[in-house]
Amino acid sequence: MKSTRRGFCVGCSTAIASLAGSRFNSLAFGGQEGINDDILLVVFLRGGIDGLNLVPPTTHPDRVHYEVARNDIQVPLSGSNSALDIGGGFGLHRGAQRLHELYQDGNVAIVQATGMTTVSTRSHFDAMEYMELGTPGSGSSTTGWLARHLSTATNLPTEVVMPSLAVGSLEPRSLLGSDETASLGNVSSFSLQMGPGGWRSAHRTALRHLINNGSTQLHLSCSRALDAVDIVELNVEGGYTPDNGAQYPNGSFGNNLRAIAQIIKIGLGLRIATLDLGGWDTHNGQGNDGGGFFFDNVEQLSEGLHAFYTDMDGGGGTPSYNPRITTVVMSEFGRRVRENANNGTDHGSGNNLLVIGGSVNGGIYGTWPGLADEQLFDNADLAVTTDYRQVLTEILVRRLQNTAIGTIFPGYVPDYLSNGPLGVVQGTDLTIDSPALFEDGFENGTLNWSVTQS
Amino acid sequence: MPAQHEGSVPRSDRRDRRLSESSARSRLTLETLYADAQPYPMMRRAGGRAALSGREDSTGSTSSVDLFTIAANRIGYGPRPGQRDEWVSLGASEGERLWNYVSQQLDPGGIVDTEYDNRRASFGGYSTLDKSLAQLWTEHNLNSEWQIRTLPSDEAEFDTFLRAIYSRRQLEAVMSEFWRDHFSAYAWEGWGWSLWPDWMRLLRTNCFGNFHQLLIGTVQHPIMLYYLDNFQSTVAGPNENHARELIELHTMGADHYLGVAPWQNVPLDGNGVPIAYVDNDVYETTRALTGWSVAYTSSRGNTGEFYYDSDDHDRFQKIILQNFLPADQPDLKDGMDVLQALADHDGTAAYICRKLCQRFIADNPPQSVVDAASAVWKSLRDDPFQIRETVRTILTSQEFQNTWGEKTKRPFEVVVGALRATQMHFEWERDGDDIGTFFGRFGDTGHALFSWRAPNGYPDSRDKWESATTRVMTWRFILWMIDSEEPGGAFRLKALDQTPPEVRSPNALADFWIDRLLQRPMDPADRQVIVDFMAQGFNPDFDVNLANDSTYERLLSMIGLILNSPEALKR
Repeated sequence: MKSTRRGFCVGCSTAIASLAGSRFNSLAFGGQEGINDDILLVVFLRGGIDGLNLVPPTTHPDRVHYEVARNDIQVPLSGSNSALDIGGGFGLHRGAQRLHELYQDGNVAIVQATGMTTVSTRSHFDAMEYMELGTPGSGSSTTGWLARHLSTATNLPTEVVMPSLAVGSLEPRSLLGSDETASLGNVSSFSLQMGPGGWRSAHRTALRHLINNGSTQLHLSCSRALDAVDIVELNVEGGYTPDNGAQYPNGSFGNNLRAIAQIIKIGLGLRIATLDLGGWDTHNGQGNDGGGFFFDNVEQLSEGLHAFYTDMDGGGGTPSYNPRITTVVMSEFGRRVRENANNGTDHGSGNNLLVIGGSVNGGIYGTWPGLADEQLFDNADLAVTTDYRQVLTEILVRRLQNTAIGTIFPGYVPDYLSNGPLGVVQGTDLTIDSPALFEDGFENGTLNWSVTQS
Repeated sequence: MPAQHEGSVPRSDRRDRRLSESSARSRLTLETLYADAQPYPMMRRAGGRAALSGREDSTGSTSSVDLFTIAANRIGYGPRPGQRDEWVSLGASEGERLWNYVSQQLDPGGIVDTEYDNRRASFGGYSTLDKSLAQLWTEHNLNSEWQIRTLPSDEAEFDTFLRAIYSRRQLEAVMSEFWRDHFSAYAWEGWGWSLWPDWMRLLRTNCFGNFHQLLIGTVQHPIMLYYLDNFQSTVAGPNENHARELIELHTMGADHYLGVAPWQNVPLDGNGVPIAYVDNDVYETTRALTGWSVAYTSSRGNTGEFYYDSDDHDRFQKIILQNFLPADQPDLKDGMDVLQALADHDGTAAYICRKLCQRFIADNPPQSVVDAASAVWKSLRDDPFQIRETVRTILTSQEFQNTWGEKTKRPFEVVVGALRATQMHFEWERDGDDIGTFFGRFGDTGHALFSWRAPNGYPDSRDKWESATTRVMTWRFILWMIDSEEPGGAFRLKALDQTPPEVRSPNALADFWIDRLLQRPMDPADRQVIVDFMAQGFNPDFDVNLANDSTYERLLSMIGLILNSPEALKR
């Protein structure tokens, strides 16, 4: 179809057309009948965060087991690094001071002892692959769970400038197979204004034509990339000032959160965003007495999440975004209950999962499996009592109003069906699709047999 | 020892190579970005992305290329000028040429490497790279002056680019990269700063050798002992980090991992060997490797070399992969027994041969070639050139010869390939002009050298490199490169010198530079885009005046366009 730019814009969705030539705003994609405008942000803590030190038992009877297992690295109950009370016998690590403020305001839900209930692995790479593909036990899916959410959601506009954003240099597996995801590592350098000055637009035009000449995966990924850089250059100005005096921590995690905030506010229709924070594979010297490296990394996490919440909390006549933003903070597994001889912790199992947002029912959730020896998984780890997909299912249904759980988490029969939701987020419960299986079923890797567990 | 973790030493602390980019950027318009009318960019569009411009569904614009193209791009980092003529001289038939080329490449010592040697000499020879491990330790790691301590890793980084660009031992460079990813570690922390050249030497000199020997070398190297914490793993305080990744990533692979399960119940293969491993094998391997450490204290001689401390070793019996290891074995024997069992395991052969085929052929290589490679690997377990013969099997297979474009070049390959094709010169030394900008911008692609944090190494499958960040930042790098200038203001890209005087029309310029850069034809539709860009609406058979600054810059931009085309990303 030959069309002039003007002609094309008339052919665009009404939302775009009404804004052609002007700046998009946050109303562009919200408020329409039947359109869901919630945003899901998934923060993945790479390396397996030591959740037992992020949320240590304080007055809980298991404190004694905790102190025995963690003589050096335990989070203390007194002193400058003492745990911050969150009730229920547990506390938050002192590095999470800002997160604690959000918790006290009722905006943080902590789900204890989550993980994969159907498989056990202490491999980072298996665990991340399984969790992000949404197919525990199988790494063969060609799409990730967030990609399948986007492809099954029936309540999004048919045309969206940037529905999904992965911040970082490589896309996470949760968005594998998504053709509508932009990724960017650094907003300020995400630009093609480079090369001989007089020929930039001609170069870009020709590049677009080269890309349009083919339809292979390679061409499609190039098309996606050029769209993404066009969108950023057309919409994102430098010199962004966060609202409400929000102060993002220095470093890429803070910068990435700020970029997400900026893009949400521009109003490109963003629904899904992902970002990573690494440095959690603390096999040695993670920090004694509640301090050290782990403190610093938790502080970075906590300050980033707090700044993001603050920044998105409205101001200047704009209503708060927070009621429609849900942030999930997850990791591939927890760490061993007992510290190792290098004042670190080795790979474990159960871990807490955080849900943050303005529509979150703050508090502690899940079944605490206990830290007594006989309560541990494989005599060593916090057991898993809540499948991570249970929490995500609830968010998908109650917040994003997507009921295609059988496609998003194939083969998973959520407790949601039998026991109802945990209640970590507000929203309406809907009838969900019956679970479906992938063609290739659920083998363990390439091996078509299993081991007797006894 | 200071605690070391992922993220504990930000790369930017090492040296700030990045030019500060202006943070203020004004918003642009579609009219500014493009020279013609374009639809408003949108990631989600009714009908999906492929419907955007009514694309034909095809498997690729260039579905078949000749064997030279396959060899130059997959056995090396892309063709350099004149390479096709050398290829033709290798034999009468394409098959003969491939066989001879592979044979040459598998014997790097037999290749005279004048250009690489000369370039390296022009940068002072990189004096730290030939130092022994003990010298690097004493003269650099123990030196308190930061610039001296970190010189070895910087020189190793320069040398890695230099070898990939200028060395005729292309396959050696590719295989070194393969093992660098396979035995991934992180250079910019702890002992990495000073000892990295010795690590690169280990991987390079064993890249065609015997896997078992290579494995022993990596397990006993201070770089890996530090990176995965084994240097402080003792009977009193075992640390399982190295043991786990040794099995999962370096040998048997996660496909042969059964998680937490009873070791007695793992089925045996025909030779009585368990066909997979469980967590108990990880724990027992941890015990077997206790006391495998480094001479990093004065009581151990402080040489930085591998050091076995029998007092730190767990002396009791162990059961690993259902082998019984008795108590009180001689020094090192527990660990050596484990490494032998892992190197010999059929799962290791299957896992690594598949990875090799994924590197050289396709993300999902035909099982036939994996099996063929695996058979050679297993039959030559004790051969000093086990890897060489396995690689020969892969590179001369029909599957290798019949596959094209299933892989996408990673940023390192794109940039090195562009430098090979254009013969652009950069000063690969610390004070080299623009070299800091070069590395800063290259890092933006997501592929900075020796910088992958997790122990699984940079991914090598297409889908993991398809992010917009990687693509845009690689395009951006090429655009910066073709526009970069030497001190004094001349363009580094000596396009005029390289263009014959009779080549001046847009048609001729496009054809000349397509051949020069890719050494294969482009699809006619792609070629037309290049010609149209150069012609800018004028008759493409009429000569243009390259003495005109703007026209010359258009030529530079055209060269960038060829390098940035999807076609150039294929391998």
